[in-house]
Amino acid sequence: MADYSIWVCEYSYVSKYHKSGVLYGAHNQGYLKLPYCYVVIKGKNHVAMVDVGYNDKEYGKTLGDRFGVENWRNPKTVLAEVGVTPEEVDTVFITHAHFDHFGNVEDFPNARFYIQEREIAKWVWAMSLPDRMRWMMVAVDPGDIVRGAGLARERRLTTVNGSVSDVLPGIDLHLAEDSHTFGSMWVTVRNDGRDQSEDVWVLAGDLIYVFENLRGPGDAVDAGEIYTPVGLAVGSQTNLVLATEEMMKQVGHDSNRIIPIHEERLRDAFPSRISKEGLRITEICLADGESSKVA
Amino acid sequence: MADDLFMRLTTVHRPDCALFTEGPLPQPVPDPDRLAETLGTDEAAAYAAQCHPIFEDLRRIVGQLAGLMILGQLTEKSEVVDLDELDLCRQRWEACAERLHRLAAPGALAAHLEQLMASHSACGRALGAFSRLPALGQGETVFDEISRQIQRAYAHLRAATSQKAGLEMVDLTHACCSCGR
Repeated sequence: MADYSIWVCEYSYVSKYHKSGVLYGAHNQGYLKLPYCYVVIKGKNHVAMVDVGYNDKEYGKTLGDRFGVENWRNPKTVLAEVGVTPEEVDTVFITHAHFDHFGNVEDFPNARFYIQEREIAKWVWAMSLPDRMRWMMVAVDPGDIVRGAGLARERRLTTVNGSVSDVLPGIDLHLAEDSHTFGSMWVTVRNDGRDQSEDVWVLAGDLIYVFENLRGPGDAVDAGEIYTPVGLAVGSQTNLVLATEEMMKQVGHDSNRIIPIHEERLRDAFPSRISKEGLRITEICLADGESSKVA
Repeated sequence: MADDLFMRLTTVHRPDCALFTEGPLPQPVPDPDRLAETLGTDEAAAYAAQCHPIFEDLRRIVGQLAGLMILGQLTEKSEVVDLDELDLCRQRWEACAERLHRLAAPGALAAHLEQLMASHSACGRALGAFSRLPALGQGETVFDEISRQIQRAYAHLRAATSQKAGLEMVDLTHACCSCGR
């Protein structure tokens, strides 16, 4: 019995991305393709998303010209591949305030948004620091915070403090403090609805970029595999490793149940297809009665 | 023009739209880099360089005010007005005023400077509204005013962005989208 269907929907990508960005210490090890994705969770009379991507009107030219970001498609086009419209989305979990996760709230007019209070509070703090400490503001667009303020006025923004259970039935939120960002969040789906679930999926946001963050080479320390954290941490790699351990505990140390949305090789682990726009739809699981969108 | 305004008021914008706020509307203006090419002068380049700290100030002020408004409203704590961050934001706004006062724009860039000044003014009105929060408790009217002014400030600043001049809303250096290029 599964309550929710989960799809990872690619909405853009970077063809050549430094491997050191996704894997701590992987200097001079070349490039990899980095898909930009968000997650759709559908079931129990809800359509929820994990992150909303970025708005091409705001960032597209810069990203295309300077960083080789390609093939951006709007949510209406992307979500149609799994039979959903942006208007049907009623809940959005923002894993962190980077522009490529929080940068397109206006395309979801009926959604309630959830973000960690710490994520907002610490960005405000970071913006108050002297210019020489500007590094801590990296990848945050004040415009997204402005739009967050608009959501607050419309009473469509909820700030969360730490872990919260059953935000939707069987869906929990967890804080990874001072990790990738100040208040990064992961989303846990207990897909059988039970407190001690045997069908858990973790949607990791940018706490996990690629499989190697979960199963990195451990030869140097005489271990088979070790957690190797993401390259970018506004907090610390230590906190990323600690968050990884918490996520792994939730899935009974079955790393296949932690979903890294920037991982191109999800195609090797789950059924998927390429849409006519050249973007991948990956089907993580299906709710009872739901038809496959990748068959 | 009156017809345009009438149409805007009656058909396009919601009653709480930031564009109802007084002053000239945000509008895209020629950016310093493009004008430097056109004018072929060092004057435009010098203006662009002097814009950098002002733009950065305003970028931070707008972001801080928006974040503080979110925290103030959602936590329902009026103590937000006592936070150091709000005080630092006000100090940055005052320092920015001095920088703006010293900034001279070549004629062709006057419109660009006007956008920066308008953004700064809107930030000042938002800061003023924050000051009224303690007296009014969690006054919805005050939050509406803060929100409107922040949106207006952002719209003016957005109008003054210039990729090539380095006046950009988001610093993508080392960003998770684009690391290291």
